[in-house]
Amino acid sequence: MADFEPKIVAFCCNWCSYAGADGAGVARMQMPTNFRVIRTMCSARVDPEHVLRAFSKGADGVLILGCHPADCHYIGGNYRARRRIALLRMILDQYGFDPKRMKLEWVSASEGEKFQKTVTEFVDTIKALGPSPVRSEEA
Amino acid sequence: MGFIDKVKGIFKRSDKAEAAPAPGKEAPAKEAVTKVAEFPADSPIDGYVPGLGAPPGGKINLAIYWAAGCGGCDVSVLDTDEKILNVSDMSNIVMWPIAVDGKEKDIEAMEDGEITVAIINGAIRNSENEHMAKLLRKKSQILVSYGACACLGGSPALANLVPGGHKEIKDHVYSKVPSSANFLADSGKKIEDVMPRPVYEAPEGTLTLPVLYDTVKTLDQTVDVDYYIPGCPPTQKSIAQLLNALVGFVYKGEALPPKGTVIGVLAKSLCEECHRHKENRRITNVYEPHEVMNVDHDLCLLDQGILCLGAGTIAGCGAPCTKADQPCRGCYGPTQPVSEQGASVFTAIASLFPVQANDATMDEDDMDEIMSVINDPLGYFYAFSMSKSLIKRAVKEGGQ
Repeated sequence: MADFEPKIVAFCCNWCSYAGADGAGVARMQMPTNFRVIRTMCSARVDPEHVLRAFSKGADGVLILGCHPADCHYIGGNYRARRRIALLRMILDQYGFDPKRMKLEWVSASEGEKFQKTVTEFVDTIKALGPSPVRSEEA
Repeated sequence: MGFIDKVKGIFKRSDKAEAAPAPGKEAPAKEAVTKVAEFPADSPIDGYVPGLGAPPGGKINLAIYWAAGCGGCDVSVLDTDEKILNVSDMSNIVMWPIAVDGKEKDIEAMEDGEITVAIINGAIRNSENEHMAKLLRKKSQILVSYGACACLGGSPALANLVPGGHKEIKDHVYSKVPSSANFLADSGKKIEDVMPRPVYEAPEGTLTLPVLYDTVKTLDQTVDVDYYIPGCPPTQKSIAQLLNALVGFVYKGEALPPKGTVIGVLAKSLCEECHRHKENRRITNVYEPHEVMNVDHDLCLLDQGILCLGAGTIAGCGAPCTKADQPCRGCYGPTQPVSEQGASVFTAIASLFPVQANDATMDEDDMDEIMSVINDPLGYFYAFSMSKSLIKRAVKEGGQ
């Protein structure tokens, strides 16, 4: 399992987290390269179907990053998102996924460091969990 | 045989299949884009046509098969009342488990394409279902996926969520249910003695049973399907629409809808058909319909905290459930651009939970607690659509 390199999909909201990721890049912070960023206008734009599709196509983990509560560019998008994601977490749990495979975190535009920390920790979590059960079943 | 030639003209695939009856023929169409047949709500449905008589080219062969389902779909063909008499005017019913004594060997003896229309209800759950679906596909010009189980997996597909698959299900049903005569705690029998087995050597010869599969599939994940009629069971109106199309085709040579058409649905969500009005109230708890003493007959059920799947379900049924103060359970399947019905519904439902004054200081565990008022979200939101969902079945962490 030591050579397992997980594939991670990271949904970043346009106004905070994507800029945060940018900041982390500009500051040349070191972080694992296992994630693919998908920019969405808001964390509430992340339909649970997007997350389920990522898992069904073999993603080992999914990160959803948005603005801090009370900081949403659209006033309340992240409040909607966190309720949806909570339900989705219950559903992933019922399917048999480890709920830790999906993480919702708040990263603001100035928090490049938090972006680096979140991604690094998440990659470690997924490495410890091993490959996605969906993929291992198809193989 | 004029009409048969016409059928072959329309369904070029049939021709190709006859030219090269390769095993790949039955390969299901992957993620095929289905079209919606929009029938305006007030479009006239021809009733019974007296004295219709046999079609000019002779009666067509019609087969109805009952796969993994409750049988309601098999009976529902009779919901067309006296119009069923036109069905017998038009066709020889060569198979219909609940009404006609057609056998597998009769179907096997037929030429490929000899059956004009085969209507299959129920999901594909065991080797017999699969065999019959493939056999009827081979012998039929037109295959109709009939009912929620055939189209979406339906209730049988909830078995996909049992992590241990068919072994765990059989083990439970045959040895752990106290009402079973085999209940191991009482009987003192060994587990292998009470389990059904696919092959049994009796003194009279070998007896076989169909093999149960771990994953329940839809019909179109097993064979190529021409038309879909959703519903649990399909409404009288959509059955009549299918029969009308067939009568027009068989008697007058009218064109059939394009392949992949979903019959009897409207290209919008059930809320459009529902008579209730919405006040966009916020909810903090959810209720079963029987827990609400006085259900407001005119107010949206979601506003009253009753989980209704209408928002993510395609219209066409006429909303009989919400008219009767019962929530929509989603048997018609997802709206057209959506593939994941359950996700579509719970996205909407999660937004009904209000933002709280201290939301900014809450963490995700608090959020889990707020949403935990919904019991069994997977089973509820995917009650009919598990086979068509993206993940499809239970998964096992660490299972290599």
